[in-house]
Amino acid sequence: MPYKLSISSWKAFPFLILLVFIAPVLIVLSSLFGDYSENWSHLYNYVLFDYVSNSILLILGVIFLVLIIGLSTSWLVTNYSFYGKEFLEWALILPLSIPPYILAYTFTGLFDTTGTANNLSREILNLGQDFVLFPNVRNIYGAILVFSFTLYPYVYLVSRTAFMNQSRSMLEAGRVLGLSQFQTFYKLSLPIIRPAIIGGLMLVIMETLSDFGAVDHFAIQTFTTGIFRTWYGLYDLNTAMQLASLLLIFVGVFYLLERYSRSETEYTSTSSTFRPTKEIELKGLKSSLAFFVCFFPIFIGFLLPVSELAVWAFSSNLGFFNEKFYTTTFNTIYLALFSALLCATLALLINYSIRFTKSRFSNLLSSLLSIGYAVPGLILAVGIVQLLAWLDNKVLLGLEIVLTGSIIGLIFAYLIKSYALANSTFESGFKRISPSLDDSARILNSSGWSMLLRVHFPLLKTSFLTSLLLVTSEVVKELPATLILRPFNFDTLAVSTYLYAAEERMFLAAAPAIAIVAIGLIPIIILTRMIKSSRPTTNKDGYDS
Amino acid sequence: MGKIFLMKLLYKIPLFSFLFIIAFETLYASEVNIYTSRHYDSDESLYAEFTKETGIKVNVISGKGSALLERLKAEGKNSPADIFFTVDAGNLWKVQKEGLFSRINSKNITSIVPKNLRGPNDEWVATAKRARVIFYNPKKVSESEIKNLSYEDLAKPEWKGRIAIRSSSNMYNQSLVASLISNLGEKVTEEWAKNFVANFARKPQGNDRSQIIAVANDEADIAIANSYYLGIMLSRSKGDEQLEAAKKVKMHFPNQQNRGSHINISGAGILKNSPNKDNAVSFLEFLLSERVQNYMVNISFEYPVLKDVLPNPIMAAFGTDFKVDEVSVASYGELNPQAVKLMDRSGWQ
Repeated sequence: MPYKLSISSWKAFPFLILLVFIAPVLIVLSSLFGDYSENWSHLYNYVLFDYVSNSILLILGVIFLVLIIGLSTSWLVTNYSFYGKEFLEWALILPLSIPPYILAYTFTGLFDTTGTANNLSREILNLGQDFVLFPNVRNIYGAILVFSFTLYPYVYLVSRTAFMNQSRSMLEAGRVLGLSQFQTFYKLSLPIIRPAIIGGLMLVIMETLSDFGAVDHFAIQTFTTGIFRTWYGLYDLNTAMQLASLLLIFVGVFYLLERYSRSETEYTSTSSTFRPTKEIELKGLKSSLAFFVCFFPIFIGFLLPVSELAVWAFSSNLGFFNEKFYTTTFNTIYLALFSALLCATLALLINYSIRFTKSRFSNLLSSLLSIGYAVPGLILAVGIVQLLAWLDNKVLLGLEIVLTGSIIGLIFAYLIKSYALANSTFESGFKRISPSLDDSARILNSSGWSMLLRVHFPLLKTSFLTSLLLVTSEVVKELPATLILRPFNFDTLAVSTYLYAAEERMFLAAAPAIAIVAIGLIPIIILTRMIKSSRPTTNKDGYDS
Repeated sequence: MGKIFLMKLLYKIPLFSFLFIIAFETLYASEVNIYTSRHYDSDESLYAEFTKETGIKVNVISGKGSALLERLKAEGKNSPADIFFTVDAGNLWKVQKEGLFSRINSKNITSIVPKNLRGPNDEWVATAKRARVIFYNPKKVSESEIKNLSYEDLAKPEWKGRIAIRSSSNMYNQSLVASLISNLGEKVTEEWAKNFVANFARKPQGNDRSQIIAVANDEADIAIANSYYLGIMLSRSKGDEQLEAAKKVKMHFPNQQNRGSHINISGAGILKNSPNKDNAVSFLEFLLSERVQNYMVNISFEYPVLKDVLPNPIMAAFGTDFKVDEVSVASYGELNPQAVKLMDRSGWQ
């Protein structure tokens, strides 16, 4: 029976892929079933409380700021037209190309006692040598700023898409029934886009929790720095992995609670009543204010670090444009492109198959894999190394190391690491497609590949491009797995940046850092062009109004 | 059409580069594979020089020491790595404890490196030394205060609010405290650490260089940092600003009246599963040759391992025959976890 066969292959495919992808996370989690060393009582007695409380404070601060920045800007650009909007709408994504630790380094470069900003202020305002105008940023508040201004685009991207997809009829009905502009936002728009926002927020939380570079540079004791201190200082990788597992469980519980809480309230707009929202034109002071609100995060999260980097790069001797620099750039570009295409395609297929087969188990694996994003990079990288080396030594019979330290292994690691990004985009993309559409397609005798290619894919073009964008910028920035898994004599831009930045040789780190940003710009520009061309009269996913 | 062609090409790039790398690797029959946690630009010219001299190609992966160790362990007997090259004796001890090093049998090597700068069974050797010393601002610290100053003295109340040092997550600090435990015992060291932490001028932050800059900028009166940082700053390779800062501070070798100043090392060992053992031995012999030692100390401002080689003149100006703590650097690794816990208990962030 060909029909039956196709169902089971659709079921088996995501299951197998997800199982391989999940293995490194499972390797980390398996530490929970090992021995618990005496280091636990030391951690518990002296440092664990600080680690946890600092991490919670950090997360709460970042959530708060990211929501304010992400929602206000996306609401403004989708519902109003004002000065500079065309430019701001895509420029708001730019900070995504700045890794948090780079912003942290530029922050200290600017605001330390002898930093650029303080030196300038002393010179301009003619102050004494000891005067310090800008406060110290090497603390938790500095870290909150760093993460918020580099990660808000995750919330901005999803909420902007969601705001754009909301029906004008609904908002108009709200206005007719006497709601103010703010009330339509708060009572009508927000509940509908909540799942999308939470999806974006989860990415922000997981990236903040898993980051080591920025918090380490600011010398803040968070849960993640604690994990690495346990590994590097106490020489206890097992306890470090157990700590990482706890982090994973914490995020997992949060994730499931959120899923459960929204399981009963799903909104999809039906095509008959859908009309795109109309933009209200802002004038005068309101227009300038809207401009400022959208420009500020771009300034802090992108223009400021990029100009500081540019100053650093050009004050070094420009010797970085050598042959090695070009090879490194080329390595970065093709790794990023290839991983992004592969990752987006896989996420599309897997999400489609889950929708089609309604396999609960695959769904669970997919969620688990998404949570894996919260595991600190280097810990996950150890899991990946162990998986690849196991495949090399046991499955490929150990004739020669094939995966570990090869390009294939590297791409494999990128897929594992960035699947969560692509997955979250497709999850919300598929959710916006009404199930009645599938039924109609089925009546017209379209199923399997044909339904995916002819019905769903055209509606998911933006999701596809968004996940390309997210994965590319993730791979371009990716460091820990690249460091430990790369072949001999193989550098990417992130590696070059790190090798210099680790010794605080920022002048030399600046050039590759700028190249990272430049490469991150390419998919952003392509994505914005796509969005622009699909924007006018119909909903961007192509529903006819 | 163009799109499809591009997609096909993209698809093939990783495959091609993979084949290319394999082909490339077999072309070079003679090679040595190094896992290193040192990533100094100077090391690259060192590798190039080695290839020029011997014809042996040097392949390098640099990364975090602990992470590279995990890769080594996972690769097992199929690992391509010949040499593990790193800073901090603790890193070498970790590899040694996993039993991944093989004994270095070259008399050329073991005869010239002092016993306290080698692994207990010659699993690894030091290739350069650095001292962890005191930097001070002569305007703020009097002659009599700095004379005969020891690490132990820094716990005394007269240094309250005057000391800058980086975080206890840093391996150099962990090694320093490990050496104190080894010399004074855990109890005395813990008491010392508590009082020492109470004397900090600011919350630990930044790297060693920023501690020296803090002294130059009057944020602290004295700082503890590695010796070579001052050399790097004075050489102007980090710009005029750092040169100016470095000119304002002076260097003091602690504990000259008793056991001597704490030192740490850069070092390397040959791995048990090394596929190119002879080349690995040649590489270590190369690092320990007089010419290369001279080259290294002049570029990294570390101290040489060989007796007959002088440090860079900038460093030599601060003295060459200072007394060195003879405790075997191998003990740092063993005591490292104990040192970290001790620092946690004494509130050293």
